[in-house]
Amino acid sequence: MAATTIDQKPSRRRPPWLAPALLIVPAFLVVFALAAYSAVWLLQLSMVKLTFGDPFRTAEWVGLENYNWLLFNEFTTFWASLRVTAVYVLGTLVPELVIGFLIALLLNRKMRGNSIFTAALIIPMVLMPSMVGMVGRLYFSPYGLINYFIESLTGIRHNWYGADLALWAAVLVDIWEWTPFFILILLAGLQTLPIEPYEAARVDGASRLQAFVHLTLPLMLPLIMTTLILRLMDVLRLFDVIFVMFGGGPGTSTTTLPLYIYRTTLIQRDVGRGSAASVMLIIIIVSLTVILIKLRDRIRYEA
Amino acid sequence: MKLGNLRALLGSRFLDLLTIGVVAAFLFPYLFMVSSAFKTRLDTFAYPPIFWGFTPTLEHFENIFSDMNILYYMKNSTIIAVCSTLLTILISIPATYSFARFRFHYKEGVAYGFLFLQMVPGISIVFALFFIAGSLNLSDTHIFLIVVYLLWNVPYAIWMMRGFVEGIPVELEESAMVDGASRFKAFRLITLPLMAGGIAATAILIFIGVWNEFSVAFFLTSTEARTMPTTIAFFMTHSGIKWGPMFATATIGTLPVVIFALLVRRYFISALTFGAVKG
Repeated sequence: MAATTIDQKPSRRRPPWLAPALLIVPAFLVVFALAAYSAVWLLQLSMVKLTFGDPFRTAEWVGLENYNWLLFNEFTTFWASLRVTAVYVLGTLVPELVIGFLIALLLNRKMRGNSIFTAALIIPMVLMPSMVGMVGRLYFSPYGLINYFIESLTGIRHNWYGADLALWAAVLVDIWEWTPFFILILLAGLQTLPIEPYEAARVDGASRLQAFVHLTLPLMLPLIMTTLILRLMDVLRLFDVIFVMFGGGPGTSTTTLPLYIYRTTLIQRDVGRGSAASVMLIIIIVSLTVILIKLRDRIRYEA
Repeated sequence: MKLGNLRALLGSRFLDLLTIGVVAAFLFPYLFMVSSAFKTRLDTFAYPPIFWGFTPTLEHFENIFSDMNILYYMKNSTIIAVCSTLLTILISIPATYSFARFRFHYKEGVAYGFLFLQMVPGISIVFALFFIAGSLNLSDTHIFLIVVYLLWNVPYAIWMMRGFVEGIPVELEESAMVDGASRFKAFRLITLPLMAGGIAATAILIFIGVWNEFSVAFFLTSTEARTMPTTIAFFMTHSGIKWGPMFATATIGTLPVVIFALLVRRYFISALTFGAVKG
């Protein structure tokens, strides 16, 4: 970033790191103090036995027992919640990427009113998630909007509130909310693709499909990875919509890891195990993101 | 007209219609939600659903303003969102400038440190925050939420605004400094006005985030500092869900956000990607 750097005047006696450090100090103190304070409490809570609602002084130190219970106890439902989370993550991200990419290709043409379409696509993403969850609950009710459309097409109504479909109702809500995320970002990417390789390919007699497979996909891959990483972080920590729609139920069918944390801490009132699950969620999100960012940078480097 | 041209024309007409259909599909659930706020209870539950031609009613809006005192929760949301946004911008501008204009050791490391803290899920620390609020006697207060949100907002603002500063040529500042201005004066008179649009967009996006935030606000507030998104609990009563007032609240609660979002739609792609992708 040499172009955007002002060199320090050598005559000054102040060390060169002082000014940038002082400018960062307020932000650093606020953010890292908040994080450190929360982390100390969270780690402490994850190593005690404490009933939610009781004062903290009644907590009993148990060391790593909560983690041990979550990971290795035969009665643990932690692994089941991880499986639900995995289904939810794949069920949302894969269709969102595929549909989003297709629509981005569709929108990537010269036509009037493109900015109106962009504006319309922003709306699902900025609505209050808790209200989206409530509205989704009504739309997926037995005589709701979704069943009306499905019944008109196939003649069958589904029970979206049942254990086998509830998670998929939540998945569909997320697809509606966040496919525009893929559309808008991938569309921006498509519009900055270089023209020359395509002209060369046409001269060489490549079909449009070949050009798509051999040029568009590889050129877009780093951006696709970036959007997937950003969405993955968000889907893994998603709480509000599922909580409002189903609260983790029926049974444990919609209990993703964030819902598992809520249920363990507030419903079973086990602060220790809930906090241990919270630590696990943070570890999962951070490590997955680090791995994927490394992978993306390697792809970008090779491209 | 040659046949090929006709085919191309028909093809592009088809794609136009497809585009309109797709966009309408994304817009429809929202429009149906808004229209439901004006339906009577009977019309809301009609099957097949009523899409148009119903007699609109304002009873749900009257209900939430008089009986549910929705203005009180809007006031809480506004206080918390505005204060947290202003504090965020105030703290983040110097740090942003430092990241964008200086060279120092571990710069990217520190920047990524901020980003990783931004990734911490609200739900994973909200119960720790609950105990912290209790130990500080700050349970259910505006100030606690305002400060807590800084944990996510400040890293976000730094990453967003850094791109805006780096987009402004450093030579402008340098020439002002050659003319005798201090570095601070050069920043205040040259760079700050040029990045005003970016600051405003960042502020609006942070406002939207705080205004919509549920997981943290739901477990840290009860009455005094309760915000709009967490009022959904009021609609779930023993006699079932009060759908009409819920739709009215959703309509009112999402209106400012939709307007704001459309105002800054130019910045939206940077906003969604922490400035990693320019629109």
